[in-house]
Amino acid sequence: MESGAGERSSQYSEMDDYESLISTTDAELLKRAWQNEKAAPQILRFEAALVQRSREQIQLMEETVEEYTRNGSDPLTVSLYQMDLDRTLFLLRSYLRTRLQKIEKYMFHIQKTTELWNRLSRPEQKFMGRCIEDMEQHLDQSVLSKLPSSYKSHLKQSSSSEEDDMVPEPQLDTYVICRSNRFLGAFQLDDSGEETVNIEADDLYALPYKSIKPLVETGQIDLV
Amino acid sequence: MYGKKGSELVKELASSEPGQLSAFNNDLFSQVIEECTGHLLHLGPLIRKIEELKKVEERRKINKQELEESDKMALKANNSGALIHHLSLLRNKRCLMAYVYNRAEIIQSLGWTLERVLPEEIEEKLSSSEKEYFKNHGATLQSYMSELDIDLAVDMVPPKDPYIKVRVLDDIGNVVLSDQSANLARHAILFLRRTDAEQYISQGLMEELTS
Repeated sequence: MESGAGERSSQYSEMDDYESLISTTDAELLKRAWQNEKAAPQILRFEAALVQRSREQIQLMEETVEEYTRNGSDPLTVSLYQMDLDRTLFLLRSYLRTRLQKIEKYMFHIQKTTELWNRLSRPEQKFMGRCIEDMEQHLDQSVLSKLPSSYKSHLKQSSSSEEDDMVPEPQLDTYVICRSNRFLGAFQLDDSGEETVNIEADDLYALPYKSIKPLVETGQIDLV
Repeated sequence: MYGKKGSELVKELASSEPGQLSAFNNDLFSQVIEECTGHLLHLGPLIRKIEELKKVEERRKINKQELEESDKMALKANNSGALIHHLSLLRNKRCLMAYVYNRAEIIQSLGWTLERVLPEEIEEKLSSSEKEYFKNHGATLQSYMSELDIDLAVDMVPPKDPYIKVRVLDDIGNVVLSDQSANLARHAILFLRRTDAEQYISQGLMEELTS
């Protein structure tokens, strides 16, 4: 369970041991990944290793529960294990689900943004490919095939538009609630450099997602 | 008035309850499509006239002459005419796309809760292309889940207790659940594993009893 703890634990050296242990278990990491994914308007990097470890963990727990039931252990112990298992399963499912829903929503935007496309796992990329095919076919059948030739694109309003102006995009300037577990110092909110925020450890802030985007992506700040 | 029908279409969408589908408005939809074709019929000749006048203008430029006053007026008139038809067409396209796309988003969300079974009262509200889309998209979702070997359609709410109390609403018969086999007769009240019960609840065959 602590396999993901290695590279992170050095950052938390000032915390006491117990807390650092708790905050770096896979269960906690998965919860954080899930929370971030839920709150971020954009799709984030797929936590491949973490998901892999969680699935192994789940399998292990399933086996344990089965074994306990077979041995006729105390039903309370079994149900506690089962509850833990259910929670982890829920987190994992909800994490994957949230990502798929974002893909459904912004498929055309992700398709043309390489950076976002690279954040998807392989199965997700496949899923999106098929999603796009389905949607294109549907739009074509319902509307586009019935329109004049220069208006047939699903990305552009007409052939005279220079850019793709019909692609739904996530709103990056929406406000998100975030918290950092350590002091990050003065942080610039926009390029003009006029507004700075002092980000203290464990304080809650409501900031536009756009300005803290790099912090979210590098894992320095968590969304709640 | 140009574009009025398109806006009616979008208004219909906006006034329906979020997440709920109303019947696909075939009549209005095809009327808007027709209007688009109409715009194109107007647009073609106008563009040709503009091009002709432009040629005349160029020929005259070589001879250092300007267009005649009447031709200048005609060019202006044709230009604005073409622009109006072009913009109306764009607007109609946006309305049509918004209508279809937003409905498709609702259909996507139905795919999460209903798996592959569409209740009749929803199915009759969809256009044929939408039915096909629902089927295709459902299959896409299924293939992702089977590739990962995980069912994402259960566990929609955070779990509190592994077991929940449910009332069976329909005769389902004897089924093997993950931890027991049970006779799910109508009106029976049982304690089931939440993950087992969820699929029946989403199909409307069971309801959760909350005390």
